[in-house]
Amino acid sequence: MPYIPPEHPNKSAFLKKVREALGRTHPILHAPDHPPLKSNIARQREKVRTIVARNDARMLTNINRLMENASFASWNVHRVESYEDAAATIARVARSHKVKNVIRSSEEIFKKIDVDKSLRSVGAPPTILASSRTRRRGQLKSIAFKSEMGVTGVGYAIAETASCAVIPRKGVARLTSLAPSVLILLVETEQILENLDDFFAITRLKRMESRSHGPNYYNFISGPSRTADIEQTLTVGVHGPGEVHMVIVG
Amino acid sequence: MAQVKTAEFKKISKQAIKNEKLQHSLDHVMEHFVSARSSIIDQDIGAENWELLRTRAASIKQSTIENLDYYLDLVDKNVRRNGGYVHFANDANEANQIVLDIAKRNEVKTVIKSKSMVSEEMGINEVLEKAGIEPVETDLGEYIIQLAGETPFHIIAPAMHKTKEEVSDLFQDWLKTAPTQDIKRLCIYARDALREKFATAEMGISGANFVVAETGTVCLVTNEGNGRMTTSAPRVHVVLAGMEKIVPAIEDLALFLRLLPRSATGQRITSYNTFASGPRNQSDEDGPEEFHLVIVDNGRMNLLKDEEMREALRCIRCGACLNHCPVYKKIGGHAYGWVYSGPIGAIVTPPMTNMKVASDLPYASTLCGTCRDVCPVKIDIPKLLLHLRHKVAEGSSSERGSAWMERLFIGQWHKTVRNRKSLERRVKLARIFLKPISRNGKIKKLRAPMVSGWTNSRDFPALAPKSFGDIWKSGLSGNNGNRNQ
Amino acid sequence: MLRSKFQNSFHKNIAQIVSLLSNICYLRRVVRRRGWSRFSNRPKAKLKAALCVTCLIDQFYPEVGEAVVKVLRGQGVDVSFPEDQTCCGQIAFNGGFRNDAADVAQHFMDLFENEEHVVVPSGSCTSMIKIYYQELFKDDPEQLERAKAIAEKTYEFSDFLVNVVGQSDVGASSYGLITYHDACHLLRELGISKEPRELIGNVDGVEIQEMHDSDSCCGFGGLFSVKFPDISAAILEEKIKNIIDSGAGTLVANDCGCLMQIRGAMQRKNLNVRAVHIAELLAEGE
Repeated sequence: MPYIPPEHPNKSAFLKKVREALGRTHPILHAPDHPPLKSNIARQREKVRTIVARNDARMLTNINRLMENASFASWNVHRVESYEDAAATIARVARSHKVKNVIRSSEEIFKKIDVDKSLRSVGAPPTILASSRTRRRGQLKSIAFKSEMGVTGVGYAIAETASCAVIPRKGVARLTSLAPSVLILLVETEQILENLDDFFAITRLKRMESRSHGPNYYNFISGPSRTADIEQTLTVGVHGPGEVHMVIVG
Repeated sequence: MAQVKTAEFKKISKQAIKNEKLQHSLDHVMEHFVSARSSIIDQDIGAENWELLRTRAASIKQSTIENLDYYLDLVDKNVRRNGGYVHFANDANEANQIVLDIAKRNEVKTVIKSKSMVSEEMGINEVLEKAGIEPVETDLGEYIIQLAGETPFHIIAPAMHKTKEEVSDLFQDWLKTAPTQDIKRLCIYARDALREKFATAEMGISGANFVVAETGTVCLVTNEGNGRMTTSAPRVHVVLAGMEKIVPAIEDLALFLRLLPRSATGQRITSYNTFASGPRNQSDEDGPEEFHLVIVDNGRMNLLKDEEMREALRCIRCGACLNHCPVYKKIGGHAYGWVYSGPIGAIVTPPMTNMKVASDLPYASTLCGTCRDVCPVKIDIPKLLLHLRHKVAEGSSSERGSAWMERLFIGQWHKTVRNRKSLERRVKLARIFLKPISRNGKIKKLRAPMVSGWTNSRDFPALAPKSFGDIWKSGLSGNNGNRNQ
Repeated sequence: MLRSKFQNSFHKNIAQIVSLLSNICYLRRVVRRRGWSRFSNRPKAKLKAALCVTCLIDQFYPEVGEAVVKVLRGQGVDVSFPEDQTCCGQIAFNGGFRNDAADVAQHFMDLFENEEHVVVPSGSCTSMIKIYYQELFKDDPEQLERAKAIAEKTYEFSDFLVNVVGQSDVGASSYGLITYHDACHLLRELGISKEPRELIGNVDGVEIQEMHDSDSCCGFGGLFSVKFPDISAAILEEKIKNIIDSGAGTLVANDCGCLMQIRGAMQRKNLNVRAVHIAELLAEGE
């Protein structure tokens, strides 16, 4: 059980001020009427069942929409049928950039796609970015910042916004998808969801079902890092990867 | 606490208007934001559905504000359950102290910051520097203005007023880089300079676009990647959030993530959305070990107390109102004198800081209403401006700030229009006074106080020799027959 | 009228049917000969409009008022002018001086509340009366009722012509290219943008040429124009540029505040574009 920090000493005075500002003397005891807050686990399970069924039925449409929206958002999109083709694509990208220093995470998908073999064949054997693989604490960061390319799996891919939800956990470091300048995200077709509402509904169920109330951190990656802060001129590749590849396999 | 320089509004706005380069930037940038927003809405959503989204968002935000104590309590409980600390700061000083204490306790030497308007309100950078800690802005626009020692010019594009030459000069001075006209190269300079800080900083300070009460999740909406860096690389992560940033449930983010990027930059979605609910989970490979959410009041309570002004707290800081404002387009952000500019700046600055010092702001608008049309949470900005004007003109002693000349003018106006006889009598007098300066129905130079500015660039019409009322009485009324019948 | 004399129920039914049919034939004969008015006690009603001429038109542009009267009368409207009118109070309200504004607004309501229709040749004044009177009197239930009632019967000039009189072609004629400026209150508070364009489009001999950003503010804003004259002038510059770029020889707007602002710059710069109120255009060539 993680440590639960104590209440801040100013909390109750602060909330009292808010209540007074709103013209109330007593705190609210029941949740305001807001539908998502009233969900329970059975209802949510049913909702997610419907969502999964719908996404299964519309898989082809979702794949196409994901690909279309990803191209619009400056992803490099690769659609492959087999895991071998996926591995080959990764090797091709590495070769085209002449990279030597590759890092990767270790989601389930890496058991299906032999990324290590294909990258070794182009002279870029990947390092798994995990603390179990490093000898000292700060080493993970320095490996990450030195890397040129990263390969990682995703939790989900959302067609509406061409977003990949990357969820850190054991074996999946945050920096894998952030530090290198080229990033490859591996998406299996079963992971594709139609829209943001689907994702958040599933997230809610996962939270309800997990004792630890879900991961404390996840990211959507929806395109390359970009800025237009200087003279409103778009520049791609600032602090995050400037080139992002989505490999859709299945 | 960031200084309130709104007393210089007239002076700075005049300078901005005369600055040709600035006018050119403003034209170009505002045009871009306006058309990007309207294209993506047409393309993705359509006008009718957009209306529905806005209405729903307005209602969710309004109900959250009306129940703010409940939701703040929920945020507190949930973030702490996730292992994070929650602090409540009444004002900028308290917030600064909280951040300093966290930094000192963790022996922090360098702080990396991603975009946070609340941190501008606090003036945290100066506070950290005084304590011997180096604050580094990582958002490129904020980094540029940090180097230049300026305040943000626009909520979304803080350095839009800087030309690439000016940026090159800044980088040359501070980073010792070679001068260049290539914008991509300038970005690489910034990237390299900041990368080293990402790797070594002990603490990251971020803002929060949304704070989900039910899950204790802070949502960041960014494009560059510095938001992710700030919340992943250092050992300590501090979030600064205004108390109004709350949304009730995680599902609500779907709605707001549809509204915010489209309203702000015309994007379907930004490159990154970060959802941080606490320190790293035990089995995570990396991430901060300590997580602090600092909830800040700093004047928001004044907006909350006033039932009329409460809706201003719905704001999701998209900047659409700035982009569409004809006044902002001419004067830019610095004239507003504080952290928030444009229409939203005009309505929040006086109540949050000082009604008297900022008394010009509610009047610096033609009430054209375009801001209200584009606000994703349907804040009725013209109505709030009128409400603030009412306070400045007839409010309590701490609020009143009208010039005595204006009171005199309105007093005289009232006497004049009380009834027709009074009006006709006074207009007759006025005609006599104005006759010497009226020529061919025009007045070229009005030398009266308050109104003289008109004739600097425009002719003023002369009073008609006979009013409509006179003409009506001398015959126009008679012929009520319908000639075409 | 025929009366049934038969006691027998079957014959009674037949008789009733015949009686009904015969009544219908009688009615048809009467209507064909004398029209429906035979059955109505009321004389044929003429639309009545009380003109709120607005202080700017009253004192600076009375010719616009004359044009309004001419156009309305040309459509058979019975135009009256409550002579004690002065101002709707907007300038005080916008300045934040609600006490003064309330006093003047009550005088306005005293004058106009018993009229059938109140017609106002200005978008900003109309929105003051229709919308902001209710804001002004929101804490005064009695005055609020009056404000709501008067809102129901107050119309901006072009709105009245097209939607109440039901006429979008007033038989005017003019010449050349016309460009139209969407005044802010008219467009965004009252939602009126189609009606003026219809009216202008139906003027013989003219063609509408939309300018770039016709719906962007001209920079007048009442008080704003004298409190922040530099900003007001800068915003106006852009509007003038758009008008010139449209190539039109005439600028039409429904608000004399905007016209005062635009004309002021046109005259100062000696530009050839004439800026007129829609009523003036519609009164041409009649």
